[in-house]
Amino acid sequence: MKLKSPVLWKSGFSPKGFLFVLSMSIFVFSAAAFAGTQTQQSEQDSADSTAVEQSAPTNPSDSVSADSANVEQTANQADTTSQAAMEDTLAADSAPAKSKPAGAEKFSHYRNDIKRGERFFRGLLPHSNQQASCTSCHNITPSDTLNWNPSALDIANKYLEKDFAEFKAVVMEPSGGMMAEVHKDYNFEDADLKTVKAYLDDLSMRGPASVKPTIDRLLLFLFLGLIITWALLEMIFFRKIKYKAIPLIIFLGVFGFQVKMLYEDGVRLGRSQNYEPAQPIKFSHKVHAGQNQIDCKYCHFTVEESKSAGIPPTDLCLNCHSLVREGTRSGKFEIAKVIEATENNIPVEWVRIHDLPDHVFFSHAQHVNAGKLDCIECHGDVAEMDVVRQVEDLSMGWCIDCHRTKEVQFVDNNFYESYEALHEQIKKGEIDKVTVDMIGGTDCMKCHY
Amino acid sequence: MKEQYYKSLDDLIYDARLASSEPDAGDRKSILQMKQEAKSTGNSRRDFLKLFGFTVASAAIAASCEQPVQKAIPFLIQPEKIIPGEASYFASTYFDGIDYCSILVKVRDGRPIKIEGNTLSPVTMGGTNARTQASVLGLYDNKRHKNPTYEGKKISWEEADEKIMLFLDEAKKRQGKVVILSSTIISPSTKAAIQEFLDAHPGSEHIQYDVLSASGMLKANEETFGKAFIPAYDFSKAEMIVGFDADFLGTWLSPVEYTKQYAKNRKLVDGEGRMSRHIHFEGGMSLTGSNADERYQIRPSQEKLVLANLLQELRKLNGQAGSSVPSSPVDVKKIAAELFSKKGKSLVVSGSNDADNQLIVNAINELLGNYGATIQTDVHLKLRQGMDEDMDRLVGEMESGQVDGLILYDVNPAFDYPEADRFVSALQNVKLKIAMPILGEETSEHVHFVCPDHHYLEAWNDAEVKTGSYSLAQPTIRPIFKTRAAQESLLKWAGNPVDYHTYIQKYWEDNLLAGSGEASFDDFWNNKLHDGVFESGRNEAEIQAFNAGAVESALGQAKSTSAADSLELAFYTNVSVGSGKQANNPWLQELPDPVTKVCWDNYAAVSPKLAAELELEDEQLIKINDFGPIPVIVQPGQEYKTISVALGYGRRNMGIPDGTIGQNAFPLIQTQNGAKQNYLSQVTIEKVAGEYQLARTQSHHSMEGRSLVRETTLEQYLANPASGNEVRETIKSHMKSLYAQRKFEGFHWGMAIDLNSCTGCNACVVACSAENNVPVVGKEQVIKAREMHWIRIDRYYKGDPENPELVRQPVMCQHCDNAPCENVCPVAATTHSNEGINQMAYNRCIGTRYCNNNCPYKVRRFNFFDYTGADAMPGNKKDPAEMTTDLRRLVLNPDVTVRAKGVIEKCSFCVQRIQEKKLVAKNENRTLKDGEVVPACAQSCPADAIVFGDLNNEQSRISKFFADERNYHLLEELHTLPSVGYLTKVKNKTI
Repeated sequence: MKLKSPVLWKSGFSPKGFLFVLSMSIFVFSAAAFAGTQTQQSEQDSADSTAVEQSAPTNPSDSVSADSANVEQTANQADTTSQAAMEDTLAADSAPAKSKPAGAEKFSHYRNDIKRGERFFRGLLPHSNQQASCTSCHNITPSDTLNWNPSALDIANKYLEKDFAEFKAVVMEPSGGMMAEVHKDYNFEDADLKTVKAYLDDLSMRGPASVKPTIDRLLLFLFLGLIITWALLEMIFFRKIKYKAIPLIIFLGVFGFQVKMLYEDGVRLGRSQNYEPAQPIKFSHKVHAGQNQIDCKYCHFTVEESKSAGIPPTDLCLNCHSLVREGTRSGKFEIAKVIEATENNIPVEWVRIHDLPDHVFFSHAQHVNAGKLDCIECHGDVAEMDVVRQVEDLSMGWCIDCHRTKEVQFVDNNFYESYEALHEQIKKGEIDKVTVDMIGGTDCMKCHY
Repeated sequence: MKEQYYKSLDDLIYDARLASSEPDAGDRKSILQMKQEAKSTGNSRRDFLKLFGFTVASAAIAASCEQPVQKAIPFLIQPEKIIPGEASYFASTYFDGIDYCSILVKVRDGRPIKIEGNTLSPVTMGGTNARTQASVLGLYDNKRHKNPTYEGKKISWEEADEKIMLFLDEAKKRQGKVVILSSTIISPSTKAAIQEFLDAHPGSEHIQYDVLSASGMLKANEETFGKAFIPAYDFSKAEMIVGFDADFLGTWLSPVEYTKQYAKNRKLVDGEGRMSRHIHFEGGMSLTGSNADERYQIRPSQEKLVLANLLQELRKLNGQAGSSVPSSPVDVKKIAAELFSKKGKSLVVSGSNDADNQLIVNAINELLGNYGATIQTDVHLKLRQGMDEDMDRLVGEMESGQVDGLILYDVNPAFDYPEADRFVSALQNVKLKIAMPILGEETSEHVHFVCPDHHYLEAWNDAEVKTGSYSLAQPTIRPIFKTRAAQESLLKWAGNPVDYHTYIQKYWEDNLLAGSGEASFDDFWNNKLHDGVFESGRNEAEIQAFNAGAVESALGQAKSTSAADSLELAFYTNVSVGSGKQANNPWLQELPDPVTKVCWDNYAAVSPKLAAELELEDEQLIKINDFGPIPVIVQPGQEYKTISVALGYGRRNMGIPDGTIGQNAFPLIQTQNGAKQNYLSQVTIEKVAGEYQLARTQSHHSMEGRSLVRETTLEQYLANPASGNEVRETIKSHMKSLYAQRKFEGFHWGMAIDLNSCTGCNACVVACSAENNVPVVGKEQVIKAREMHWIRIDRYYKGDPENPELVRQPVMCQHCDNAPCENVCPVAATTHSNEGINQMAYNRCIGTRYCNNNCPYKVRRFNFFDYTGADAMPGNKKDPAEMTTDLRRLVLNPDVTVRAKGVIEKCSFCVQRIQEKKLVAKNENRTLKDGEVVPACAQSCPADAIVFGDLNNEQSRISKFFADERNYHLLEELHTLPSVGYLTKVKNKTI
C-alpha cells in the first residue's frame, strides 16, 4: 500500500474509499486500544477497591460474631490461598476468624498491622533507629538493575510458612557478611517486627505486583493515525493550507513512520534480542565464569555431545555450594535456594532465554565440538553478565551470515575427507578456505526438518 | 433450437445469458479481462479487504503480542549417561502373546518414541514387522487401564490385594479351583511365577489360550513325534518351499524370523545366481501367496486332498506303493517331482489347524528328509502353545460351577473366543474374576477386579522364544499409570511379595548363569541386558522316531473328503490389525492391506467370477450366514468359491476414538476335533441393500502400459542379467541434455530397493510414520485420497484377473536430481540440497500444491488439516484418532518438525538420521562409514530390501546396487534423474 505515483490514486483507489478504509483502521486501533485500556481499567478497579477497603476505618470489636458464619462460608468456597479469598476475609471481617481452615488461620492479620508493617518496611514510620528503611535494600517492585539483596517478595515467600520467632531471629541476629554489617545495630520492638511479618505474609499471598503493559507505542501509533486523518481531511475537504504540498508531505512522512514502526515490530515478533529476564535465583555468570574462571563446560557439560548445552542439574551446584554457603554480595539467601531445592526435591525453574522456534534444529555439539566455535561468538561475553541477556537476535539471517563466512575445520577433521574435489581445489590453490556454505551449510535441510 | 443438456441450474442460467446477450459473449471472459474490468470500476471489494487485512495485521503487531515465558527445568540429579537432547537405545523384547520380536527402544528425554530391530538377535536378526513398530503408540493410549478397579470403581492396590487374598484364602480352605487363563507364555520367569501361584493354591490350574491357535500342529507332532511342540523352521536352507495357506511372511508363527530367512534365500546380488522356489496353495490372496513364484487356488477344504495327493505322488517317486486317493483339484505331479529332486533342501508348511492336514505335512517333510535339515526338532518354537481343547474344557467347567476363581492374564475371550457369549454367561458362575489387562478390553467389563498390567515398554520381562534363545525386556519409561506387573500381582497373591525385576534376576542367576561362561552374575546380567538376547545353546531332548501310523488315518480322512461344491468362508489375519490386540492403534488401522489396499475396515473378499455370477460389486453389503452385513471387495486371485474375511476387527469400545471398526468374525469360527478351524464350509451369502464405503489407497491395478515394475524370470536373468530391464538402455541412449549434470560435493545420497526381496509387509510404512511424525488422517480423509504416508507400497496385478500375478513396489520421494517439483514452487520451499536431497522447508511452504501436481511419482502429501495438534488455530484441527491428545503426542519425534495445516510434506531420506550420523563422525574425527546412515524404512525392513548410502563413494553398497544390471529408475524416461533405484523382480518359474 505504498502511494508512489498519482496514477495509482486515479485507477486504484478513490480518495473516498481510502478515507473509509482509514477510518476503519482508526476504528480498529481504537478498539484495540480500548481493549487494552479495558484490561488495565479492570486491574485499576480491583486495586482501587482494595485500597478503599484498606483505608476504610475498621474497628476490631465490630461485629465479629455476626459475620463469622459468613466468613466461614467464603473461606470454604474460595481457594484460601487466592487473593480474592484473602480480600474477602479482610473485607468481611477485620478480626481473625476462629473457624477457618487450618492453613488460613496462620496468615490472617489485622489490616492495620499489615498497613503499619508496610509503612515500616518503606521507612515511612518514624522509629527510634537511624537505619535506612528496609526497602532501600529489599525492593518491593521489580527493578531494572541487579539488586543482590533478596527482594521483599523473596523474603516473604521464604518466611511465609515460618513463625515469628524464626523471622525475628534472622532479622535481629544476622549472620554472615553484608547482612551482619547492615543489620548490626537493629533493636526493633517485637510489635513493629510483627507488623512487618504481617505485611510480608500478605505480600506473599498476594504475589508479585502485576506489571502494567506499556502502550506507549500503540498510543504513538494512534496519534500518528490522527495526524494522517487530519492531513487527508485537509487535502480533500478543508483545503485551508495554501501549499498543498504541506499536508501531503506530512501525510507521507507520518505514514512512512507508521510503516517503519510496523516493520520493526513485525520483525521483532518471535524474536527476543536483549531479553534479560529475572531468574528465580540471582545467579551471576560474572561471578562464576568471570571472577572465578569456571569453564563454561563445567556446568554446561553436555555441550559437546548433545544438541542441548544443558542447564546444570541442581546437584552440580552443590559440588561447590555444599561448602560455599555465602556469597560476597548476595549473602546466604540466594545460595540457600539451591540447597533447599535439593533438600526438598523441587527442581529450579529457570527462565529460558535462548529459545529457537520448534521448526529449527540446532545442535550445540555440531557448533562447539565439530565447528570449534567459542561460546562467546553466539552468547556474547557472558562472563561479564550478572544477569544473562540474549545478545544476538538468533534470526535466520544471522545464522546464514555466519554460515557464509565461517571456516570449516576442513583439514583438521578427517570427516571432511569425503569432500575430495574441495581438497583438490585447496591443493591447487584455487581456494584458501572452505566456509560452511560451500559444503551445503545454507541448505534448508541443514536446520529445518 | 437445439435440445439443451445441463448439469446444474447454474449451467442453465449461464447458457440462458449467453443466448440473450451480444453475439460475441459466447467466449468466456479471461481472468485477465475480468481483473481489468474490476479495476476500472474503482475501489473493489478486494481492495477493501486487502486494506482491511493490513489494518488488522498492523493492529495486532502494534499491540505487540507478548511471547510466553519459557521455563528451562534441569534435573535435580542428572542420571549418568542420560543426556538431554540425545537418544538412548535400550534392548528389549516385544511379545504380545502372539508375535515375538527382539527390539531396541529409542528413548528420547525419558520417553520411548521408536522401535528398531535388534541386530544381535539370532531369531529376528534386526527385522521388525508393522505390529512391532506400531506397539510404541500403545504405550500412550488413553484407553489403557489407569488404576486397579473393583466392580468398575477405582481402588488402591492395597485394597485390591487385601480383598483378593482374602478370597483366595477362602478358596484354598474349601479347595476351590482357581484358573489362570493366559495367552501363550514364553517367559520362563513368568512361568515360574505362575508355578509359584499354583503351588500356593493347590487344585488350581494354568491354561494357555491362543487367539490364533496352532493346536492342530501341536497334536500332529504329538502323534508323529510323541511330543506336542512346534519345530524351528529354517526357510533360508530351503531351496524349494511349498506353502499351504500359511502366511509365514505376514502372520503365521514367527513372520519376522521367516521373512529374514526367506528373503536371504532370494537375493540375487553380489553374484548370487541361486534363489529359492516358492509354490503356494491358498484360497484368498495372502501376503505370502502374492509373493510366491507359482500360486494355486484351492478352497480351504480341498487342502487335505491336495496334501494327500502330494504325499502319494512323493511316495510313488520314492518307490513306495501309494494307496489311491481321490484326484486333486490341482495336478501336483510336477511339484512332487521338483520337491523330490530337492530332498533335504525343501520345506512344506501348512497353516491349517486341522491335525490331519498337519500329519500329512509331517509325513511329506519326513519323506523328503527335511527333519534335521530345514526343520529342527531339537529346537522348539515356543509360540502358540495353547490347546483349544483346554479352553473349551474350561468354559464347560465354568458353566458347571467348578471354577471358583478365574485370573485372566493378557487374554480377551469375550471378544476373540468363538463362543464369546457362552464364555461371558459362564463367567457368571465364577465367584472371583480378576483381569490383568493392559488395555480396556471387552472381558474386563465382566470381571470383579481389574488389576492392570504394565505396558511391555514399562515392564521387566524375559522370553525364551526358541529353545535356548533367551531375551530380556526392560522398562524404558516409568509406569505412566498406576499399573503393576502381572507377575508381581501373581507372586503377591501367592504370598511372595517380591518385585519382578529381582525375581527375573534370581531366575537367570539360578538357571542360566551356569552355562553362560561368565563368572559373575553382575557381568552376565549386564551384558545380556545390554545385548537384549542370550543364546544358551540348550537343545531339547531327542524326540522319538517318526511315527507314521497316524498318517494313514489322516490319509483315510482325505479319502472320505467329499468334493462339496458350496461356498467356503476362509478366516485370515492381516499384517496390520493381526488378531485384534492392537485394534485401537491408529497407525495400524490406517495401514493399507498389502493386497487390497483397504484400511480402517475388514471386508469379504470374493473372486471376480463369483462376483459376476452373483452380481456383486465393490462395497456392496452382504450377509454371510447370519454374519454381517459386511462390504464386498472383488479380489483378483481369490479362489472361485472362497470368501475371505479378516479376523481381529469389530472390537467394541476400542474403536478410534469410540465405536467399532469392522465386523467381528471370531464368532463364526468352528471347532473340529478340538481345534479351531480357519474356515467355515457351506456358507450362504445374501445381498443386503445398501453400500458401505471403504477407504482404499490404491484403486488402480495396472501400470497403464508403463514399465514401473520390471521383472524377469530366473532362467532369463541367468542368461542375461539385464533381462526385463532392456528398456533402460534405450532410455539411457535418449538422455541428452543441454545442461551439465549436477555434481554433488561430498555426499550424494541414494537408495536402492531390491524388488525381489521386498515382500510388501508394510513394516517400513509404520516405521516411517513413527520416525517422521506422519499424521493419521482417518477413514474419511483416506477416502478423499488424503492419506499422509511418506512411503507407500504400490501393487499391480498382471495377467488373468482370476489368477493374476502380483508385483509390489515401495515408492517414496525419489529425490530426483532434476526434480520437477522444485521448478514450480513459487516460494522456493522445496529445493535441492548440496547432498542430492530434495528438501522441503515447511515454514516456507504456502500450500499452493504446484509441486504436488508436478510430481510424476505422486509422493508429495498435503496437510489438509492439522492432524497432530501442531497448529495454533484450534479450528484447523482434525483428529479422527485421538492423536492430538497430550498423551498420544508423547510419541512424537522431537527431531522432526510437526507439520501444521496447509503445508506439503514428503520423504526426507530421514535427513535427521543423516545429520545425526554425520555429526557423530565429525565428533569422532573420522569419515562416515558405508551403511552407517540407515533410514527408518531400511532399519525396519525384515527382508533387507532397502539399501541406503552415498553414491559418491564407489565402494559403497548403494553404488554396487546402482551399477547392477538389474537396476532401473522409476519413470526414468522423464529424465528426472531419481536418486532411488529399483532392482528388477526375478521370479523363479518357467514360462
